[in-house]
Amino acid sequence: MSMLSYQHFPIYSIMVLFLGAFLIVMLGRNKAVRNILALLAVTASFCFLAALVKPVMINGEIIAYWMGGRAPAGGYAIGIALEVDALSLFFGLLVATAVLVSCIYSIQYMSHDHNVREYYTLFLMLSGGVMGLVLSGDIFNMFIMVEILTFAAVALTAFRNTAKGALEAAFKYLVVGSMGSTCILVGTIMLYAQVHTLNFAQLSALIPGNLNNATKLAFALLFIGFGTKAFIVPFHPLAADAHGAAPASISVLISGVLTKSGIYGIIRLSYFLFQSMGLGTVQFMLVFFGCMSMFICVTMALAQHDFKRLLAFHSISQIGYVLTAVGLCTALGISAGLYHAMNHTLFKGLLFLAAGAVLHQTGTTDLDRLGGLSKKMPWTTVLFLIGAFSISGIPPFNGFASKWMIYQATYEKAVESGNIGFLLVTIIALITSVLTLASFVKVSQSVFFGQLPKEYENVKEVSFGMRFAMCIFALLCVVTGLFPNLVTKYLTEPAANAVFNVTNYINSMMGSGYAESVMGESLPAVQTCTFVEVGCWNPVSWLLVLAIALLAVTLVAVCGKYDQVSENKGAALTDSKYDLFFGGEESVYSQVGGGDLFWGFKHNWRHYFSFMHDLHSGIVNDYALWAVVALALVTVFLQIVL
Amino acid sequence: MSTVLTALQYLGYILIFPGFLFCFLAGMLLCGIDRKVVAKMQKRVGPPVLQPFYDFFKLLGKETIVPAAASKVVFLGAPLVGFAALVVIQLFIPVFSFTVFTGVADVIVILYLLLIPAMAAILGGAASGSPYAGVGLSREMVTIISCELPLVLILLAVGKTVGSFLGTGITFSLTDIAAYQAANGSLITKASMIPAAIAMLLVIPGETGNHPFDAAEAETEICEGLLAEYSGAPLAVYKLTHAVKMLTLTSLFVALFLGGIGTGIMLVDGIILFLLCVVLTILTISLVHAVTARMKIEQIFKYYWTVVSGLALISLVLAWYGL
Amino acid sequence: MFKKLIAESAAKSPWLFHINAGSCNGCDIELVSVLTPRYDAERLGFKLTGTPRHADIVVVTGPVTKQSLPRVLRAISQVPEPRCIVTMGSCPQSGNVFKGSYSVAGPLSKYVHVDVDVAGCAPKPEAVIDGLALATKILKEKREQM
Repeated sequence: MSMLSYQHFPIYSIMVLFLGAFLIVMLGRNKAVRNILALLAVTASFCFLAALVKPVMINGEIIAYWMGGRAPAGGYAIGIALEVDALSLFFGLLVATAVLVSCIYSIQYMSHDHNVREYYTLFLMLSGGVMGLVLSGDIFNMFIMVEILTFAAVALTAFRNTAKGALEAAFKYLVVGSMGSTCILVGTIMLYAQVHTLNFAQLSALIPGNLNNATKLAFALLFIGFGTKAFIVPFHPLAADAHGAAPASISVLISGVLTKSGIYGIIRLSYFLFQSMGLGTVQFMLVFFGCMSMFICVTMALAQHDFKRLLAFHSISQIGYVLTAVGLCTALGISAGLYHAMNHTLFKGLLFLAAGAVLHQTGTTDLDRLGGLSKKMPWTTVLFLIGAFSISGIPPFNGFASKWMIYQATYEKAVESGNIGFLLVTIIALITSVLTLASFVKVSQSVFFGQLPKEYENVKEVSFGMRFAMCIFALLCVVTGLFPNLVTKYLTEPAANAVFNVTNYINSMMGSGYAESVMGESLPAVQTCTFVEVGCWNPVSWLLVLAIALLAVTLVAVCGKYDQVSENKGAALTDSKYDLFFGGEESVYSQVGGGDLFWGFKHNWRHYFSFMHDLHSGIVNDYALWAVVALALVTVFLQIVL
Repeated sequence: MSTVLTALQYLGYILIFPGFLFCFLAGMLLCGIDRKVVAKMQKRVGPPVLQPFYDFFKLLGKETIVPAAASKVVFLGAPLVGFAALVVIQLFIPVFSFTVFTGVADVIVILYLLLIPAMAAILGGAASGSPYAGVGLSREMVTIISCELPLVLILLAVGKTVGSFLGTGITFSLTDIAAYQAANGSLITKASMIPAAIAMLLVIPGETGNHPFDAAEAETEICEGLLAEYSGAPLAVYKLTHAVKMLTLTSLFVALFLGGIGTGIMLVDGIILFLLCVVLTILTISLVHAVTARMKIEQIFKYYWTVVSGLALISLVLAWYGL
Repeated sequence: MFKKLIAESAAKSPWLFHINAGSCNGCDIELVSVLTPRYDAERLGFKLTGTPRHADIVVVTGPVTKQSLPRVLRAISQVPEPRCIVTMGSCPQSGNVFKGSYSVAGPLSKYVHVDVDVAGCAPKPEAVIDGLALATKILKEKREQM
């Protein structure tokens, strides 16, 4: 096997990130050197993974890689393994893309900060941690990577530790994040005690035959552990604090990458280790947590006064969509869930970068104080709107394509299973979408439109490097929205197929025939991922028709001298004709916006909102307690039903 | 040769029927009829039926003022995008058995496409910088949220009813819904669908922003809300969009509940569709306008999420159990 | 063809914006009565709007007090062309019984060109409609001159 054989690429893509971190510590005193090193590391990592698309996604290979060539002996996998199937590669590509774009953005964004060398070191540690997690074939290595990424993320949350709340956010994250990591560790230990292996493939083969109280408890522990990493509902306050304090480029990673590692862990845990694909109860658990995250976080977002905190809650809300869709266990559902996971990385990254741009230029993300920036920052405004439309599911952007698949998946599931509960899931998904739209209307009114406060009159557009990073995300949002069929064919369907073919996963690691010999009759049937869509959505045709219609309208408008307008050309600055109408009064600064924009809605939900307000006390003891309660509930639930 | 002809044919669909020309004429006429009927109900003579046309052309002849605080591109561009997007929706709604573009958009997509004109209005208003528009957009958004839940329930109920007949469980395809009604008679003849149909009738004035759900454009309290700073041609386009929205929603009602009565001849179908839209407009917009006073925004929300959603839910549950 | 339609429509769809410049409320009520079923000015296309940006005709009532003068002028300046200014009642024309008061800055014609004056205290609805109809004719002329 030559050094350039693609079998080595997974370990390379992890190694370059850690190597980059190491080198930056040593050589990164110079600004140019550390920038180049960081960019090189993330680009190399991306390229190594991109080179795997053909063998893994298209040819359907599974790369089983034993470190040091220590293949299993005597039926036990002792060596450290990497195993890259389409699911791992799918998440790996998401990670690599987000990290690459975030790194490009960081160069300008962090240029005014101190200790940028440490920033890049931690940045690459975090990236490498997530990359290692999704490519690992070994549950103990997963735990190690979880530890690395958690501590890197905690440190980065507190990176701007002079900012208000940064240390507090980091502390909260540290406490609850460590609880999650501990859960993963204890779960791993319990599994090892039961079946004496740490290899993922072997565990997957052995656990279904050894399902006892201990392994069920391990399931609960691991679920809560990965749930903390994904910030699903009882852990969502951490995300809000962390995103509010962390630099925007790190928010991209926390939201687009770190939460994905949690989702990845939950998928591996539920469908590979415990093979609970057909179990209605586990489906219920995932969909329940998904719906709770979806709905609670979107309402919490509506009540926020801070741009980045609002985005943080939406991030969890969208993770709720992913979890719900994945929890349906149908081909359409898993495909839709993975599609949405990808879209979430893209549009959420874009939105956080836009928020970062606003913070960078104005020094605040307070919705009550901003306004009218569209005149000063037109690029950021357009890019923000693309992200906002994507996340709120406005056609033809990518969020709509995946949400639309999720609606169908939940409704089909409802009809298939005859369970009216899933109907409620569809309704919650649809309503969450419009509430998401509402809060992004709030942001666009409060930050980009409306009136410009005096203090921001000299604000300028962000530099090219930052715009370029945002443009990459925006372009990807449009492309993945316009060609849903290509995305499902080349990215999500192979990944969903991998979820349905556990046997294949086990055998490529442990040698063919292993799964059959261990599992015997309990071997899950091999399914291929096929699904029928009950509706139709053809974005390209729609866009074509809209383009023709828009052309016709514009043509008529231009012929009719629509653009001949009277506007204030600066000569007569005091001409009251161009003032805003204030009932005859002199036009003064009066911006409607900020946190309480939708009082008509919130008035009807005031009891709910005041309940939520009381619940989110901001005290870390409470949040730790929630984690314990969630763990207890999941444990009891799984002990009863599994 | 034939491809050129097909292209011309589709261009004709987009520009004439059921595209721009039809939308323009029918929408404006609906608006005029609405104003006339309201006047008659109030024992007035009322404006001529062609009044919306006069309003439209007069506005085209007025000066367009862009306030100094506005973002010009969004302020002027939003009305055009909203109008174009609305007309495009009309191309996906079947005229009985005939649909211009099949296989492009289903009902759920249409639900979201309907948000585009609303978003255009909201962003245009926000871009004007007026605080009245700020209040207006808040109310407009809450009205959209209010209407969304009942609409979702209605669409799910229709999808289940038609789908269980087709054997696929559910369907969201408008072509399937039209085909089902052509074979089995209109959906409104099914007892389980009647509450959903009533709910849909109640949703129409909310979606179009007509009385009593026009808190977003209340001219007496918030100076026309979103439109406060608009004048001249962009305002004309907004008025037109509002008129076409009445047509779109009523023809969506026809497609969902009154399908299957077409003759197959396009011209006749077009006239029947228009007449049905007129009846529905009078029923849902004019009558309601004449007998009600404007609701407060929180009342609108409460009304839609309780009464109207309740009706739609009845239908959904009935459809779920196959009644 | 469109030019002709636009020219024709200019007189057929006059939208009113009402400014109270210190009126005693008498004229204001009469203006509303013009829109009631009995007189129904809507049959001529008249409509009350909430913002000067939509208006064609500005109806001013009241003697134009010192407090209201800058506000009246500002609101009038925000009406897009072509526009017509109609004073309603005797107050904005002459000051009426308030003439000479320390707080009255009127008449309105001192500050801005007034197209139509409708006299009376308060004017009869018929007179108001007559004045408004005259204003629509002026509107059409102004449109043609644009």
